[in-house]
Amino acid sequence: MMIAYLLLGATLFALGVIGFITRRNLIVMFLCTEMMFQGIIVTLVTFTRFPLAGNPATLDGQVFALFLVAVAAAEAALGLALVVLLYRYHHTLDANSWRLLKDE
Amino acid sequence: MLLADGHTTLLSESLYATLPFWPLLGAIVAGLLIALRVKSGRGHWPVVLGVLASAGLSVALFFDLGTRFGGAEAPTESPIVAAAEAAEHGGGHAVEPAAEYGAVADGSHADGFTHTLYNWISLGAEESVEQDHWLAVNFYFDGLAGIMLLFVTLVSTVIVIYAIGYMRDHHGEPEPGYERFFAFLGLFVFSMATLVMAGNFVLLYLGWELVGLCSYLLIGFYFRRPSAAAAAKKAFIVNRIGDFGFALGIFSLYWFLRGHVQPGENPLDYEVVFRYAGHLASTEFAAGWSQATVVSLLLLCGALGKSAQFPLYVWLPDAMEGPTPVSALIHAATMVTAGVYMVARCTPIFAASEFALNVILTLGVIGAMLTATMAMAQYDMKRILAYSTISQLAYMFVGLGCAVPDSAVFHVFTHAWFKALLFLGAGSVMHAMGGVIDVRRFSGLRHILPQTYRTMLIGCLALAGVPLLAGFWSKDEIVHAAFERNMLAGVLMLITAGLTAYYTFRMFFLCFHGKLRLPDEAGEHPHESPAVMTMPLWILAIGAVFAGYLGVSFAGAPSERFLMLFSPHGYFHEYLHHSTIGHAHHGAGGLWLMYVSGGVALLGILVAWLRYGSAPEVDPDQKLLGPLFTLWNRKYWVDELYDVAIVRPLRGCGRVFYAMDNYGVDGIIWLVAGVPRAAGYLLHFVQRGALQTYALGMALGLAVLLLLWRWLATPLG
Amino acid sequence: MPALLVTFLVLGALGLFLALPGGRRCSNLLGWLLLAAGGACVVALLVWLISGGAELGWSIGLGLVGLYAALRVITHQKPVYSALYFVLLIVAVTGLLVLMEAHFLAVALVMVYAGAILVTYVFVIMLAQRPDPAVYDIRAREPLWGAFTGFLLLALVSGRLFTGGEPAAAEALEPALGPSGTVEAVGTLLLTQYIVAIQLVGVLLLAAMVGAIAIARRQVRPEADQSDIAEVAR
Repeated sequence: MMIAYLLLGATLFALGVIGFITRRNLIVMFLCTEMMFQGIIVTLVTFTRFPLAGNPATLDGQVFALFLVAVAAAEAALGLALVVLLYRYHHTLDANSWRLLKDE
Repeated sequence: MLLADGHTTLLSESLYATLPFWPLLGAIVAGLLIALRVKSGRGHWPVVLGVLASAGLSVALFFDLGTRFGGAEAPTESPIVAAAEAAEHGGGHAVEPAAEYGAVADGSHADGFTHTLYNWISLGAEESVEQDHWLAVNFYFDGLAGIMLLFVTLVSTVIVIYAIGYMRDHHGEPEPGYERFFAFLGLFVFSMATLVMAGNFVLLYLGWELVGLCSYLLIGFYFRRPSAAAAAKKAFIVNRIGDFGFALGIFSLYWFLRGHVQPGENPLDYEVVFRYAGHLASTEFAAGWSQATVVSLLLLCGALGKSAQFPLYVWLPDAMEGPTPVSALIHAATMVTAGVYMVARCTPIFAASEFALNVILTLGVIGAMLTATMAMAQYDMKRILAYSTISQLAYMFVGLGCAVPDSAVFHVFTHAWFKALLFLGAGSVMHAMGGVIDVRRFSGLRHILPQTYRTMLIGCLALAGVPLLAGFWSKDEIVHAAFERNMLAGVLMLITAGLTAYYTFRMFFLCFHGKLRLPDEAGEHPHESPAVMTMPLWILAIGAVFAGYLGVSFAGAPSERFLMLFSPHGYFHEYLHHSTIGHAHHGAGGLWLMYVSGGVALLGILVAWLRYGSAPEVDPDQKLLGPLFTLWNRKYWVDELYDVAIVRPLRGCGRVFYAMDNYGVDGIIWLVAGVPRAAGYLLHFVQRGALQTYALGMALGLAVLLLLWRWLATPLG
Repeated sequence: MPALLVTFLVLGALGLFLALPGGRRCSNLLGWLLLAAGGACVVALLVWLISGGAELGWSIGLGLVGLYAALRVITHQKPVYSALYFVLLIVAVTGLLVLMEAHFLAVALVMVYAGAILVTYVFVIMLAQRPDPAVYDIRAREPLWGAFTGFLLLALVSGRLFTGGEPAAAEALEPALGPSGTVEAVGTLLLTQYIVAIQLVGVLLLAAMVGAIAIARRQVRPEADQSDIAEVAR
């Protein structure tokens, strides 16, 4: 069972990475970061449910995942506010239209 | 007041120790005037006052030391006046040499004493601080220092006053850089006094380099003129060659002596070094060379450079690019004698090495002949005088090489007066001729420059060695010593004396005799220089006549008085015996030489009169001597030889090293800088500001790290 | 690494590369076929490895639903649909959490994500989305590099689960079960051991809220020049 859950968590994370790299819409990119969070939450809960030999059987992983959810909420709030602001400047959600970190 | 050991003195010892600092103070004030942009045309006053203070102190010191050495009663007349008379008239205050003679044992330099201002550098700790070898800032007072200070400060005073007039244009307005000039002069007097008074070799070296610096600054005074800048550099670099040896000499002294001195003694103090001179002489350094020989030859290098001796003399003629008072003061009367002073100061070491003495003698004879012949074919008045300076300095070296350093110092003393006079006279001519100094372009100047003419005549006679003038006495002593030591050297010195008289008067007649001829630059009505310039000429002329009598004895029985007149037993020598020179051995007799050398001098003048008395426009010597004249005129092509043999190879080396530095060393640096720069250039294509490219890079980087981790952490298979 | 897993990774990478929006309609279909084949591979691998009953069935089913939803999130050309598929993903993950007896977390996830975050997303999409599809939605950026990198990472991580063809850890097949994350158990833990952390998270959320309001209230001129952009970036 454990392998199935871990594989799923890793796959969700990898798909989040791929989406973040390839999708150019800022909102979708944010969704992809949330997807990476989902992969991590699945992994954390898996390790809580199936503790490895020698590790204490506690609920710390789930608590950690809860904090992750809270941080994700904060990140989403700030990130979406920024997206709105950026959209007001350029009237586009294209990530490529923001290149201020360029070395001139 | 009391000197260290109870002698009554005029002024306190610590006041004498301030002697060098008055001109420095003046120079600083003059420098402040420059900094504050005060252009009043009176910028000379601080320096003049500073140098005057030094001169007053050194006169008093000279007198005080004389009292101390001679044990004579206090004079009845005013001491300053008496000492001044002693300096200028000679014999004004002569103690009984016959009584004193012989009473002073060899090594009477114990008469000197050291005045320590403060401890400067610790040369390494022994068990306790008291036993440290301290390098102190200390002054050494003895007969040699007294005499050197006397003429250095007096001649400086006269020349600084002369410069007040010289450094102005025809309207009496100061030249640009007027204050700067006087500031440098003040700095020079400070440096020279430090050099002469120094009580250890490091302080001597300090003063030595300081005068070199002043010389550089003053030769390059007209630094906008390329030739002046080049001459300044040449002087500095040639001196550096000699100073390198000098520094090595000091190092080796320290090296040889540090293991032998007592705790608390500084192995570079004069007192200590000369106490251990015997040790240096008796210790072998390598294959037949005693330590004394090694030290002597290394120190000699410095002396050759500073005193412009063969083979390092080439800078001095070029140094005439500086203003004439500088030529007179630094490059004729004082600084160039520093080498002679140093060798004389180190007599205990040099005297312990027969080989070193022979080297000095040989170089001196070569230099004297060589430069005297060069002087015969020059037309630039200042250059003729420059070559004669080298030639006269070579005389002094011959004296040193013949182990009669007191005679050499005597010649230094007399030479300072008449050579300064000659240069200032040349400056006066130059001033009147609008800067022209080529003797072919004017003649008959006696009609318009009567004061200059008369004083120059006195100077030329003194330089030529005409009997009863200053140059005669001192030169004769040296020639005599040369005959005593080596017949060939004596004969050559005698011939050189004749040549000296000849070329001196060749210049003199070409300049002042014949019919009046003026260059265009002189303007409509060239006139005699102002009193501020002619008065110094006359003061120096008095010195040029009478300075020699300081070394002549008037004592003794009436029947012997005539003979004693021509023996080097005067007050001057007696005074000098109370120094590190000690009691030099002079041969007896020599009366015949007086007649011969006087005759040679007169003969030289006579020949010059016959050939140049009418100041012919075409040089008769050029026709007579032909290629030899060209050889002399081109100075034996020594400059060119040096250029080919030394300067060009060195420059080639420099190019090679430059290339190594520029492409080799710098190349490595550029490589170090260039690799990151190239990497940055390559990476800057990635740095596009695109967020997702960065994310891709991060993900790929993480993948690579994980790959590496797996590959390294997991054994294969 | 089992061959089925390698096949899954390769097929997944290729399929995702083709399925990503790139204006190639025919290749999209091929990509989905490859992805389906990859999914079949991984299901076969799990069934072969794990002998389980209904729980395995539930978990594989929910997992496939989640994976499909995730793929649709990153491949769909319309952001609204991406967001809605993300809700589906949340639902699938919640189901898995319930299977793993993380009840508290499951409820929290549904409330926070589906209830709060996704609503915000939909609002923003409505604010910022134009009616016609934008070019940045229908053309993916470097799909090949993205798919390669993502699946390389996945390969490196999932490869650790296996030693040779076998699972790396013995417990992976017959694990000891940990405590169940009931509301009581997790709530007790949060309010005792993690009381300071939970307060800090509250502060963090407050700060984020204030910051979001401050940023979003800023008045900007449309089509601002570069200096203004620089100011905002700062």
